[in-house]
Amino acid sequence: MAGVNSTPLSLAWPEAREQFAAIARLRWRIFVNSLRTLRGRLEMVSWIFVGFGFAVLGLGGMFGLATASWYFASHDTLEWLALPLWGVFLYWQLFPVMATAFTENFDSSNFLRFPLRYRSYFFIRMAYGALEPTTLIGTLWLLGMTAGIGIGAPRLLPWAAIALATFWALNVLLARMIFAWIERWLARRKSREILGVVFFLFVISFQFIGPVMGHYGKRNRPAVPGAIGDLIPAEKLSPAGLAAKVVAEASRGNPGNALGSLAFECVYSAAFLWLLNVRLRAQYRGENLSESIAPVTSRAEKQAVRTGWGLPGLSGPVAALFEKELRYLTRSGPMLFNLAMPIVILLIFRIGPAHGRRGGPFTQHADLAFPIGAAYALLILSNLTYNSFGVEGGGIQFLFVSPVRFREILVAKNLVQGAVLALEVALVWAGASLMFRPPGIGITLATLAGALFAALLNFTAGNLLSLYAPKKFDSAVFGRQRAAGTTVLVSLGVQVVIVLLATVALLTGMHYGRIWIATIIFLALAAAAFGGYVAMLDRVDQIAISRRENLIAELCRA
Amino acid sequence: MDVPAISTENLTRRFGELVAVDNMNLRVAGGQFFGFLGPNGAGKSTTIKMLTGLLAPSAGRMEMLGLDLVANPVEVKRQIGVVPEGMALFGRLTGAEYLNFVGRMYGLDRETAAKRTAELLEFMQLADQPKALITDYSHGMQKKLALAAAVIHGPKILFLDEPFEGVDAIASGTLKSMLHGMIARGATIFLTSHVLEIVERLCSHVAIIHRGRLVAQGSLEELRAGVQAQGEQTGAGEKLTLEEIFLRIVGGSRAAEQELSWLG
Repeated sequence: MAGVNSTPLSLAWPEAREQFAAIARLRWRIFVNSLRTLRGRLEMVSWIFVGFGFAVLGLGGMFGLATASWYFASHDTLEWLALPLWGVFLYWQLFPVMATAFTENFDSSNFLRFPLRYRSYFFIRMAYGALEPTTLIGTLWLLGMTAGIGIGAPRLLPWAAIALATFWALNVLLARMIFAWIERWLARRKSREILGVVFFLFVISFQFIGPVMGHYGKRNRPAVPGAIGDLIPAEKLSPAGLAAKVVAEASRGNPGNALGSLAFECVYSAAFLWLLNVRLRAQYRGENLSESIAPVTSRAEKQAVRTGWGLPGLSGPVAALFEKELRYLTRSGPMLFNLAMPIVILLIFRIGPAHGRRGGPFTQHADLAFPIGAAYALLILSNLTYNSFGVEGGGIQFLFVSPVRFREILVAKNLVQGAVLALEVALVWAGASLMFRPPGIGITLATLAGALFAALLNFTAGNLLSLYAPKKFDSAVFGRQRAAGTTVLVSLGVQVVIVLLATVALLTGMHYGRIWIATIIFLALAAAAFGGYVAMLDRVDQIAISRRENLIAELCRA
Repeated sequence: MDVPAISTENLTRRFGELVAVDNMNLRVAGGQFFGFLGPNGAGKSTTIKMLTGLLAPSAGRMEMLGLDLVANPVEVKRQIGVVPEGMALFGRLTGAEYLNFVGRMYGLDRETAAKRTAELLEFMQLADQPKALITDYSHGMQKKLALAAAVIHGPKILFLDEPFEGVDAIASGTLKSMLHGMIARGATIFLTSHVLEIVERLCSHVAIIHRGRLVAQGSLEELRAGVQAQGEQTGAGEKLTLEEIFLRIVGGSRAAEQELSWLG
């Protein structure tokens, strides 16, 4: 390595050029080889569609922003350039984080094992970022703005080109810097999961914007314009405000002020460059992101191995599986998040307006809140029931080498799912009672009977689909994980059948003015579904044996 | 005649056109430390997967302790312990939770499972991080945990696929002494490894698979005698090492001068 580092620049450049060419060839080969599989080809088709969307966004935005900039330049209102520049800035910085921060990205730090110079490594990291759709779209938008200003006020073109080029560099550096630091935080499982939860709470909060606006919209808020007024001077010091100010001051014939703003913009860029440099240098030096930092443990704690759960009426293996499933569930942020959703939905309905009244669609029919909440809970639970083995990963091999039959394994999983459903339904009942009014005894019993029928039908279909169309699922990762296509189609079909039967049962009860008729129908359907469930359990060991190679191949996939 | 711990009869596995394991007749007596060797892609992992119930054979029979694996899968699985290629761990449990779980899946009562869990964690030097999830363990720690899980129920046959890969020297010594202890108490160990020195030091008997076919089987001395009987000469008093035996059987030697002369 010492020899490589001491090579003069004139000799180092051909070497670096070879390295860049090799990396470009590598990426190309990865792409070409990915087309060998059906999954890779489908991915490319989806990328063509997405690419078309990006092209429309980039070119459409370019013309729109060019028009807006032309208008501001020709009407001498160049301070307003800050507005579109803020849009560009927010899109550039937020979109890539929201789209890809919580998924696996190509790890360019792998290249560090080769004799790359730091300059080359830095360049590669920047080049990877510059080729992202967000950067290309942002570049098109800024080009459009430069052209618009140039057409509106040709004498300002050099100033606009310099200001927006600096703004471009600032955005590229900031985006790379954010990614490099996020990468650092996401390297640890715990911080990754915490960031995942924060991110999804952020997404949920958007759901409340509409209801909250509707709730408070009609009230007078004199403080709001005042607060906005206070923010305007601060905005002028933001990257977008500074870039706009460079052009505006130049148009007023104040080149000194324009240069001052430009210098300030350069300071921002330099600061982001410095922070990026700190991160990349640490990577280049081979930082250790190991999560296994051994804590000092007392002797007493070392020996504290608790006995497993003993559950009355259940065999040892089924109780052990029940305990394991519940532990997995409680350690999965995304699953807990999903299970909280029925209550969140009720809350959104509670806050939101409906024709001027609080309580949403349940104002007139408060009794419906409980069955609808319970149905939603069942729907959410289908994520678990239709891909029961998804989170096992390599553990699926243990289930096959252990002396426990798959019917017992699936019964344990269904018991956990049933317990979760019971808890959810109880929470929804309590939530509906507190937020609207306690559901009547008739509708409560009918809903419980309906949930029993739907759960048994879903368990039967879900167990079969879990064996026939498994899909690896990381229980710690939010979003971007879908069940197999077959599973999606079949589970949708089952939900449609359940909704149709439930509608028939409820309409029959309403027709006769006796809701208990619906309860009886649901109980009869549940009895039939139970028969189907038992028949499925009788066959499930044979199915598991015949499907074991597919299950292991899919779930042990890296 | 003693019932063999492991026996196969014309065991075959095909993947499309490829015959990964071809009419294998294997016999491992009880109490043997058995090494199963072969070059990459020879069919070792396929064989071990079939013997442990992770893969269905295309043809042939497999018996463990006289029980047919296909006809009596649950009874056979109760008698065996396995460390498969992927280690078969549940990443979001702690080490203690996992061992407890495995023990109970093998039918141990709650107290016994907890007691053995504590002993195994201590023995494998994994007791220092009681709250860490397995997913956060290093590769070596995961390997030790997988081994602990494979023995928690006291199996009569233990299948190990590359058990020492990624395990440090201290732990490796501990594991070896544990395995010797199991052999002394009558258990059978079936081990695959690419490190021939380990196999030579640990195993009393060896089988070599090459291109899906079993090409040699017996004690080390029997294999050595077989190779020498085929005309391979050694110096007076020199014993062939397992590596030499292996290379001569699978034909892996190559003239040194043909190889990569540009390497420093």
